Amino acid sequence: MKNCFTVAMVMSLALASTLLLSALPASAHHSSAAFDLQHPVTVKGKVTKFDWSNPHAFIYLDVLNKNGKTDEWRVEANSPNMLSRVGWKRETIKEGDEISVTGAPAKNGTSVMRLDNVVLPSGQKMDGQGFSYGH
Amino acid sequence: MRARYLILLLVFVAWMFFHVRHAASRVQQQAPSAKSSSSLSPRDLSGVWFISEYHQNILPNEDPPFQPWAAALYKKRDYEKSHADPDKGPDPTPRCIPPGIPREMIQPFPWEIVMARDRIVMIFEYQSLVRQIFIDGRGHPADLDPTYMGNSVGKWEGDTLVVDTVGFNGKIWLDPKGLPSTDALHVTERIRRVNYDTLSNDITIDDRKAYTKPWTVQKLFTLKPGWQIKEYVCAENNLSH
Repeated sequence: MKNCFTVAMVMSLALASTLLLSALPASAHHSSAAFDLQHPVTVKGKVTKFDWSNPHAFIYLDVLNKNGKTDEWRVEANSPNMLSRVGWKRETIKEGDEISVTGAPAKNGTSVMRLDNVVLPSGQKMDGQGFSYGH
Repeated sequence: MRARYLILLLVFVAWMFFHVRHAASRVQQQAPSAKSSSSLSPRDLSGVWFISEYHQNILPNEDPPFQPWAAALYKKRDYEKSHADPDKGPDPTPRCIPPGIPREMIQPFPWEIVMARDRIVMIFEYQSLVRQIFIDGRGHPADLDPTYMGNSVGKWEGDTLVVDTVGFNGKIWLDPKGLPSTDALHVTERIRRVNYDTLSNDITIDDRKAYTKPWTVQKLFTLKPGWQIKEYVCAENNLSH
């Protein structure tokens, strides 16, 4: 009985999250049309540069691809102004950090991504588009 | 028993969903909220405001009454945006061109209203722009140079600030999605503080060169206590659109 109740609760919460997420417009302050929002990817790598400037913060990342070569990814986050309102600081990401980034890749196949979230070396997860969803 | 729990939970979830979705939609005349300061004049619009629900299209659920050429241009912009390199696109704002009015109001960046005796000043974070709305009874200058932000004058109708803006250069997009405008653009805004932390703006677009008739959309803004307008330098890192 208790188990059934737990299952029902988990299912309801999952349904609630799905409904809420689907209600949010998937768009940043500029056009996100160049990015494939339907097929997010996750890559891990070492930060070579972090640009903390408007209109977007950029993370540059060296990522080892499956052929053993290194791709340089450019990862676009929201503006520092808005990111700082959801807890980011200019030193949140540092050169040399090993991080994991998840986001929408460029539709044209280049190693460019619109960041959804980043997992820092500490394991902390940060929202890469804070307030873009109309909060 | 089990089924009852499930039904109860599903009802709760459905209620939550609709509550969240509709909480920020159309606001009718409301009594001031409990947070409202009794000394606050309804004409005091000051504060840092932020779009309550951001959409790239200013009209989220419909198309405006396009002139044929404007519909074609809108479609072309949409196509170019989804096929362009992320570094390049048709939107003028990533090249640091001002978004103009009404787009600057609905960007997902805060802006602040400062009230002065003869004018109301809007300080926009996005692109660090300033808009002055003169409320001392003056009209628009006779010979206006066309600009991105236009020329704004306002007057009070009850507790609603009615702002009239003309003098546009025809280069702006009305929203981030790419609604066209021309130099015939005439924007009328009816701005009102519906409660302590909500500002409502009924925006009417009259641009007969681009649209067959005027159209109106209501946008809501939420007060952000504790936020300050920050510097925003577009040209510094202008990589994306």
